[in-house]
Amino acid sequence: MQIIACYSNKGGVGKTATAVNLAYAFAASGRRTLLCDLDPQGASGFYFRVKPSGKLTEARFFGDTDRVAKSIRGSDYDNLDILPANMAFRDFDIFLSRMKDGRSQLKKVLKSVKSDYDVALLDCPPNISMLSENVFRAADAVVVPLIPTTLSQRTFEQLQTFFRENNLQEKKIHAFFSMVQGVKNLHHDVIAEMTQAWPERFMQSQIPFASEIERMGLTRAPVLATSWQGPASQAYQALSDELDRRMNE
Amino acid sequence: MRPIVEKADPGSSDSSAKVRGRGLTQETFYLRATRLARLSRGGDRHLTLVLEWEEGGHPFTIRDNFNQSLRASQRLLLEAGGRAHLLSASGRVLSQPATPEARFVSAFAEGPVKAALADLPPLRALLTVTSGAARCGRLALVDGGGKTRVSANLRELCPIDGDSIVLVTVGELRGYGGALRDLLSRLHACDAMPLAAGNLYRVMHPASMSYTARPSVEVRREDTAFDAANALIGAHLPIVRANEPGIVADIDTEFLHDYRIALRKIRSVLSLFKGVYAPEQTVALKARFAALMAPTGPLRDDDVYLLERRSFYAMVPDTMHGGLDRMFERVGQRRLAAWAGLADRLRGKGYIREIEALMDLFSRRKTLLPGPNADRMSQDLASELIRKRYRRIRRIAAGLTAGMPDDEVHALRVECKKLRYLIEFFGPMFQQDVLHDILKSLKKLQDSLGSFNDCVVQQAGLLAFLDDLGDEPRRLEIAQSIGALVTVLHQRQIVEHEKIVQAFAHFSGDGMRQAFRRLFHDGKDI
Repeated sequence: MQIIACYSNKGGVGKTATAVNLAYAFAASGRRTLLCDLDPQGASGFYFRVKPSGKLTEARFFGDTDRVAKSIRGSDYDNLDILPANMAFRDFDIFLSRMKDGRSQLKKVLKSVKSDYDVALLDCPPNISMLSENVFRAADAVVVPLIPTTLSQRTFEQLQTFFRENNLQEKKIHAFFSMVQGVKNLHHDVIAEMTQAWPERFMQSQIPFASEIERMGLTRAPVLATSWQGPASQAYQALSDELDRRMNE
Repeated sequence: MRPIVEKADPGSSDSSAKVRGRGLTQETFYLRATRLARLSRGGDRHLTLVLEWEEGGHPFTIRDNFNQSLRASQRLLLEAGGRAHLLSASGRVLSQPATPEARFVSAFAEGPVKAALADLPPLRALLTVTSGAARCGRLALVDGGGKTRVSANLRELCPIDGDSIVLVTVGELRGYGGALRDLLSRLHACDAMPLAAGNLYRVMHPASMSYTARPSVEVRREDTAFDAANALIGAHLPIVRANEPGIVADIDTEFLHDYRIALRKIRSVLSLFKGVYAPEQTVALKARFAALMAPTGPLRDDDVYLLERRSFYAMVPDTMHGGLDRMFERVGQRRLAAWAGLADRLRGKGYIREIEALMDLFSRRKTLLPGPNADRMSQDLASELIRKRYRRIRRIAAGLTAGMPDDEVHALRVECKKLRYLIEFFGPMFQQDVLHDILKSLKKLQDSLGSFNDCVVQQAGLLAFLDDLGDEPRRLEIAQSIGALVTVLHQRQIVEHEKIVQAFAHFSGDGMRQAFRRLFHDGKDI
């Protein structure tokens, strides 16, 4: 099973939209896909109309792998299941800090459903925390959406520093530009600068700023399912294909 | 409700089954199309039934062989929209590009459906069970938040003549077991049947007949021998008739094969159940059934040659294949003529009059005349006949040596075949586990005898073929190939003879003798 984390240490960058659409694209390609909604602020489950899991507290999430499997819900789409968020995930940090070997716990949980899925996509909360570190260690790829602004440059550097300091493999990072607005010069400049600075870390695919992505809140479905011919859908499909290639290199 | 999205082909066409690998329920049902609307009634009131059909239809064909092997194995082969779909009772759906012109599975394009059909009898052609127009759809039970709790793929089949049905392949969604149970109970209330129920063809076509080459005839211990013989012959005559159209249409070789076996069994009853019918009627019936059988021989012989074609090529070096090509070309022509002759005969008034008269005779039974053994109890007669046959086989087997002439081995084969028929006719009256052991040992022996006989018959046939070549321009080439074949067949014959000796040693040994004694002679010596 491949584990792909969708992560950003800054909110509002289109992280959940990316997780939702990547999960859909992987499932549509025939791979059995599990989307784990680890971000209590996020809305992966909301987009798939799956209710939050009341039963799954953090203690149970790590202590009772069988209960995790039972909390998984089938989406309306073939090959795609959701592990809905639990509001108690916000206390993960406190919980994990009390645990001695917290870092390997997430992997243990995912291992329990390993044979059921080809791909697990993790929609992660937006801060560098114990949970994030846990995720980075467990993941085969960390997909990082960035809005091309000067602030993003700083947060991306912070992320790389965190990887280095914690002895994590930087090559797991697959960044891309999100909410790109072609009319803004600033966006052009930042994209050029950052791509030049870290050519291996950035994917070529970009996700445009598109109203259809915003409308996902109304349609409660991935754009790839509702308007697959639109520019946003095409961009997500291209992103999924490119990520696939990079992971198999 | 989301629109029906055409799923990307994931390469493996078995993705649905893969998803279900973790124990989620997936099952196919069928119900009359007129009952589909009833699904929205009853059930959990918090769940709304949503039904959607794709626009436009496409032709469909359901295929199965004459034996209905697919129906019997709880599967459905459906060709629709240019693809062949194989549905199984477990809800698994395999699919691959269809090969509508392929009559046999071996001619299918490579793919998961072809691989899954490898268990079908290879010599049986796939026939059209029914065809018509199909359309696809989907149903779902949706909760108040618009979330699908359970869904099913639908395929409505409207045959050209017959009743429309809807195939419903239900797929459980992880975490929503309650909704699955709700849908299953709604289906049950609409009289939906699981694919495993096996009467889909009949629901679409009430006149659809199932066929078996081995009719089960329940002969009870207390039945008279006369009743038992009538029942056995009466059960095999419809088999004879059922195969006539397939022979005339030349669909596959098994129609003639089954036709001949049914006739042979009838003739066995007449010759083995001595004294059951009046002597003069027995003689007359034997002659009438022999007359039905005789014209089928040449076609069957040629069928066997052609079926063995591949193994003949494998027996001789490539350099001799040219002669075989020519030989099989001639056999093919000869077969065509033999088939045309037999087909004409089966269509002819004389044949139809005769077979109908025989059917009438054994269904009304008024003019059947009981013989001196007619009133004997079946079990008594069966035990006696089986004992007698077994004794005779053991006597011949005692003299079985390497130098035994071919015609004596042939006589043994005939005796074994008669014994086998007797045991099959009366089998249900006797203790099954012991009977099973006897049949297993007998079958092994018969296999060796059959292989030996094939070698002998084929050598004789090949040499006769050689004599018959006349002024064939490539006579020499054919003769060389035949010479090589005969040599190989003769060596095989020697090997098979050795196997027969071993199989007989087991069959006439103490263990088998005791089994026969227990079963057919109240434990007394045979």
